[in-house]
Amino acid sequence: MNSYASYQLQDFIPFSADVYFRLLERISETWWPLHLLGLALGAAALLLALKKRDRLVWLLIAPVWAFVAAVFFMQHYAQLNWAGHYVGYAFLAQAILLLLLALAGVSRGKVPAAKMSAVAGSRPAVIMVRLGIAIGFGIALTGLLALPLMAPLSGAGWWQAQVFGLHADPTAITTLGLALMLLWGWRLWLVAFIPMLWLLLSGLTLSVLQATEAWLVFPVLAAALVGIAVLCRYPAKKA
Amino acid sequence: MNNSFTGSNRLTRRHSLKLLAAAMAASLLPAWPGFAAGSGRWQKTIGAGNKTLPVIGMGTWRTFNVGNDARLLAARTELVKAFFELGGGMIDSSPMYGSAPDVMGHALSQLGIAQPGAAQSDMVGSLFAAEKVWSPAGGSAREQIADLQQRWKIPQFDLLQVHNLADWREHLAVLRELKAAGKVGYIGITTSHGRRHSEVEQIMASENIDFVQLTYNISEREAENRLLPLAKEKGIAVIANRPYNGGSLINNLKRRGERLPGWAAECGCTSWAEFLLKFIVSHPAISCAIPATTRLEHLQENMRAGLNPMPSAENRKQMVRFFDAL
Repeated sequence: MNSYASYQLQDFIPFSADVYFRLLERISETWWPLHLLGLALGAAALLLALKKRDRLVWLLIAPVWAFVAAVFFMQHYAQLNWAGHYVGYAFLAQAILLLLLALAGVSRGKVPAAKMSAVAGSRPAVIMVRLGIAIGFGIALTGLLALPLMAPLSGAGWWQAQVFGLHADPTAITTLGLALMLLWGWRLWLVAFIPMLWLLLSGLTLSVLQATEAWLVFPVLAAALVGIAVLCRYPAKKA
Repeated sequence: MNNSFTGSNRLTRRHSLKLLAAAMAASLLPAWPGFAAGSGRWQKTIGAGNKTLPVIGMGTWRTFNVGNDARLLAARTELVKAFFELGGGMIDSSPMYGSAPDVMGHALSQLGIAQPGAAQSDMVGSLFAAEKVWSPAGGSAREQIADLQQRWKIPQFDLLQVHNLADWREHLAVLRELKAAGKVGYIGITTSHGRRHSEVEQIMASENIDFVQLTYNISEREAENRLLPLAKEKGIAVIANRPYNGGSLINNLKRRGERLPGWAAECGCTSWAEFLLKFIVSHPAISCAIPATTRLEHLQENMRAGLNPMPSAENRKQMVRFFDAL
């Protein structure tokens, strides 16, 4: 038997579903009522993104990524999975990246005119860019509202609800949505890379654990890819 | 005493013929390394010594990786306690199993087994602690073992194995030195999922090892071809991992509503867990199976599989025919 072909996804997930959901619960129990602050921060970031106040958005969510790196990954997840520390470092790197972005202040509104696509400004381009931004808005809302509601709606209870700012998945999803609303081209890829990579790992983990959240994570990833493709094809200055 | 010989000193012709027939039949049977202890729990002898092991042990992959969660630590401690109360012996873990060694250390210290010098309770006196070393190789093996002993909170392991053949030459050399120094009772190698069997066979044939751990269950019987006969020939004890194929084997049978055959009761099988585990541990070359679970009722089912009666060679063939036809 080919030894590499015999590996399955579950061979790489060293914990069971009940243990992972207890981890989510314990973080919620430990940090309550920080959930409310997380949700308020996420909602504020979404409103600021709608107003194209990109610097403030990145300034608001950069510390959130650092917090999730320290609390979710290094303090808890790393106990169950030796790779947790490395994912924590990746989340810290994302925090630094967002901070740098806030300092640089690069967003869709700052695209140099010389680099504008020839089609930018045409009606199809405007429609496509609006589509990309709408996808981003939908993804951000999913991370802020839909994902936290999945646990209580599926009967798992409120303590298992995953919340932006405390848990990794809603933080990554909401950030991905905000990036789609504010960025374009390689900057978009740069900011989306770590959230998408984590969501891929998380989606695979959740599917092995047969968790309902997996049904949300993969469509979000697919929608984000569509959004990124659209926004990189039509980098319009004004949507 | 109900013995026909005690009533008379004379050996009749009929008795002589019976004895002769019994002796001939016994000589034709394969040597059966297992026996039922007074409690009816099946045990097998390891290697050339007189050490015996209960045939049902406990695995810890995924099930004991619970971190420092107080609620789950307490639940796993209860599980370990029940395991010993039900006559369990071998517990197998690995540094690759996340916090499982720490969780086992917590459970053992709660139950009375502890650092050298501490009183050891009868309950855990039967512990046969099995651990593994893995990459990186070389000098790290001793450090890994020292670290694992601290995590388990025990003075030394009964068995140390090279995890999935990782750098096995370097690690086995270190393990042999530790065994010679009396710092470990037994040494071995592990594989799973039917991986690298030809390399396992070479190591079994050429190296002096006491244990081999491999995947063997009613749906994964590849080890029967070469590895199990070789283990029998060389006196190497065999630990069967993944007895339920990671849970899918027993879950599929239960989900499909498959029913046990009527004749399964003859060999003491009243549940699928007993059927699947008894099939494994009744193989003459298998010393022990290590099912993993988080649930007390599943542990109880598993442990019942170690009780008399065991399937005969003919029962085992029946089991395979029945399973293959499902």
